[in-house]
Amino acid sequence: MTDLGVGKTPIKELTDAEFEARYNCDRYTATVLSNRMRYIVEHMCTNLLHHAFSLILRDWYDFAATISGPSNMNYPMSTVSNSLVLFSGAMEHAVRNAVEEYGPDKLKPGDVLMVNDPYRAGNHVNDICFIRPVFHDDKIVTFVALRAHQLDMGGIVPAGFSATKRDVYETGLVIPPMLAYENDQPVQSSFHLIFNNARYCALLLPDMITIYQNLLLGERLMKESFERYGVDAWLGAINYSVDVPAESMAAAIKALPDGVYRGSDLVDADGIDDTLEYEIKVEITKKGERLEVDFSGTSQQARTSINAGVFDTLTATGVALKYLLDPKTAFNSGAYRNVDVVLPAGTICSATPPDGPVFLYWEAAQPVLLAIFKALEPAVKENAVGGDYGSLSIHNGHGVTPDGTPWVTVAQCGGEHGPWGATKSGDADSYGGFYMANNLDPATEAIESELPIVVLRKEYVPDTAGTGYNRGGASVLRDSMFLTDAHHTSSPVHTKRSSGAGVYGGKDGRNGATWLFPAEGGFDVSQRQDLIPVLDPEAYRQSTPVSGMLDPETKALDVEKGEYFWFGANPLWHTKPNDVFRYVTCGGGGWGNPYTREADRVLRDVRDEYVSIEAAARDFGVIITGDPQKDPEGLAIDEAATEARRAELRNAGMA
Amino acid sequence: MTDGPTVAPGLSVEREDVTEDELRELGIDTSGASASDFKRYPVLSEGGWYIVIKNQKTMETVHRTKWTLLGPIKLVTDGLHIA
Repeated sequence: MTDLGVGKTPIKELTDAEFEARYNCDRYTATVLSNRMRYIVEHMCTNLLHHAFSLILRDWYDFAATISGPSNMNYPMSTVSNSLVLFSGAMEHAVRNAVEEYGPDKLKPGDVLMVNDPYRAGNHVNDICFIRPVFHDDKIVTFVALRAHQLDMGGIVPAGFSATKRDVYETGLVIPPMLAYENDQPVQSSFHLIFNNARYCALLLPDMITIYQNLLLGERLMKESFERYGVDAWLGAINYSVDVPAESMAAAIKALPDGVYRGSDLVDADGIDDTLEYEIKVEITKKGERLEVDFSGTSQQARTSINAGVFDTLTATGVALKYLLDPKTAFNSGAYRNVDVVLPAGTICSATPPDGPVFLYWEAAQPVLLAIFKALEPAVKENAVGGDYGSLSIHNGHGVTPDGTPWVTVAQCGGEHGPWGATKSGDADSYGGFYMANNLDPATEAIESELPIVVLRKEYVPDTAGTGYNRGGASVLRDSMFLTDAHHTSSPVHTKRSSGAGVYGGKDGRNGATWLFPAEGGFDVSQRQDLIPVLDPEAYRQSTPVSGMLDPETKALDVEKGEYFWFGANPLWHTKPNDVFRYVTCGGGGWGNPYTREADRVLRDVRDEYVSIEAAARDFGVIITGDPQKDPEGLAIDEAATEARRAELRNAGMA
Repeated sequence: MTDGPTVAPGLSVEREDVTEDELRELGIDTSGASASDFKRYPVLSEGGWYIVIKNQKTMETVHRTKWTLLGPIKLVTDGLHIA
C-alpha cells in the first residue's frame, strides 16, 4: 500500500517541492504520465478488440488491461482500462498473488505469467490473466496485465456458462501461476496443458498470440516513457495515480453522516433445487473518513456455480462506492484505501474450493452492488442510483451445422444486455452492459452471419421500467430462433424479485422471465411467417417456462400472483430447428416520485411506447388521449383530467 | 414445491477479543478505552488481506498487519508438500 494515510497533506495543498519529494517528479510530469498510463491500456485494448478472433473478445469486449507497480511497492494498480470492471477490480490481486506465488525474483525479461484460478485471482477459469513484467536495468519496474475471456477452458459445458456445475472439477481447467511465455517463446507444455483440456483451440491459439502481442505493445510504450521521463518519475506517477482516488474517496466518505447502514439482496436459487434462496447481507459502518463494509450474515456458498469469489466481491464493493460517492476520479486500487471489507470465507460471495464452484460470479457480485446501493440510499439521498437489470440471464447454446462444424453462442442470445436505473441526472438508458461491465453488444449481423440463429426480436417492453420523476430503463426482450438441433444452458437466476430497485421515491422495474417456444406443436415462426406476440398472455400457453414469476395456466408473466418457475429444472435444454428462446430482462429502477414527473415527459414516453396510456394515468397521474399505434403524433395531454387525477393522488397521500 | 424456500444460513466473521497485555505489547495507546472495546479480525482492502485491531466504538484501527495472500481462502492444494 502506498503510504498516504489519513492526515497527510492533500495533494492540492502540496508545495511544488513537497510534490516533487513525494512523487519524484513535478505535477505536470505526474499528470502526463498518469494520462500516458491510461493511453497505454486503452491502446492495448483497442488493438486486441481489432485483432481478436473469438466472438467473446471481438464482439463482447470481454477483457481488461491494467498497470501495477512492483513488489516493493506492494503492486499498486494505478490504471485500468475502460472495459470490464469486474476484471480490472480483481486484477490488483491477481497480479500480486500470481507474482508472489510464482516468485518475483524468478521472473526474467521476456516472461509472461498466467493465472486463472478464481480463488487466487478472481473471476472464472475462462478469464486468464496474462501478466508481463516490464524491466529496466534488470529490475522489474511495472507489471502490465491483460485478462481476457477464453472461449472455453474445459469442464462439462462447452464454453462453460452454466449455473448447475457442482464443484471446481466441473467448472474447467484451473491454472496456477505459471509461465505462458519464457524469453519471448511460448512455453509448449503450458499451451498443451490448455489445448488438451479446452475446446475450440483453433480460436484460442490466435487469441492468445494476439494477447501476447498486446502485452508487448504495452511494454514498448512503457519503456518509451522510462526513457523519456525516467523510472523514478514513472514510479512516482504510479503512486500519484492511486493517491488521487484515495484522497477523493476519503473526502466523499467524510461527507456522509456517521452511522451504520444495512442492506441486502436475494438470489433466487442455485442449480440443485429451488428450496434455498441466498441472501447477501451488508452492514456498512461509517466513521469519519473510513468505511467498514461487513458481509457477515451472508448466506453460505451455493451448491452450484453461481458463487463469486472474494476479489469479485471486493470489486463490486468498490464499484458501488464509486457510483454513489466518488464517480469523478479514476477507479484503481487507491479507491479502497479508506475501505475495509469484512468477508467471511465460504459465502455465496466468498466461495471456497472445491465445493463452492465459481462460474457465473456476476450473479452474486451484482447483488453485492445492489445491497450496497440499498444500504447507502438513506445516506446519499438524492445521489442514490436505481438498480439495473442485474442478472445477465446468460444463454449458452451449442451444436453442429449440417456439415459437422461445431458452433457455440456465448452470451449473445439471452438477457445479457438491458436497462440501467435512473439517477437525479435523468432517465436511464434501456440498453447497455450491467453496472460492472462496460462491454459491447454483439451485432445482430455478426450473430446471424456466423451462427445458425435468427434474431427475431430485440426490443423494449412497455410498462416495465421503474417509474419515477426520472424513469428507469425498460426491460429488453430478445427472441432468438435456432435453425439446427441444439443444446442450451439458460441461467436466469434473478427473476423472483426485480434487480431494478427504485430509489428516492422511485419504483422498482418489473421482473424479468425466460421461455422456450417450441416450433413443433407450438408456435412455428417460420411456418406462420409471423413473430410470437409479446403482450398477449395467450401467446405464452404454448411455451415451456424456463424462469420467472408466471401464471401457471397461461405461463405469462404475473409478478403479483404468479408462481416461481425455477431455472434449474432443466440443466441442459435440447431444441429442434426453429425453436425460439425468449428472454425478458428486469426493468431498471426509477428515481424520485413518479407523480411529479412533468406531463410532457410522460407524453413522450407514451409516444415512444415506454409507457402505455393506462400506465400513464395509473403510475404517473397523467391523462393522455389518442392512439400511440395509429397516430403517435396526435397524442395529447388532457390537462384538466391530469390535474384532477394528480389532486386525487395528492389527497390520497401518494403524490 | 410444497413449502416455500428458506434462506440459506449465514456465516459471520469472528471478531476476537484482545487483552490489555496484547495491546500493551503492541504499544497501542488505548486513550482511556478498555481492552473490551477492541477486536481483532481480518479485512480485505487496498493491498490485500490484513489482520486489524479496531476500537469497535470509534472504528479506529490501532493495529494493522499484512495477512497471507489469500486470507481465509484455503486452496485444495494447501498443505500438499510436493518435494
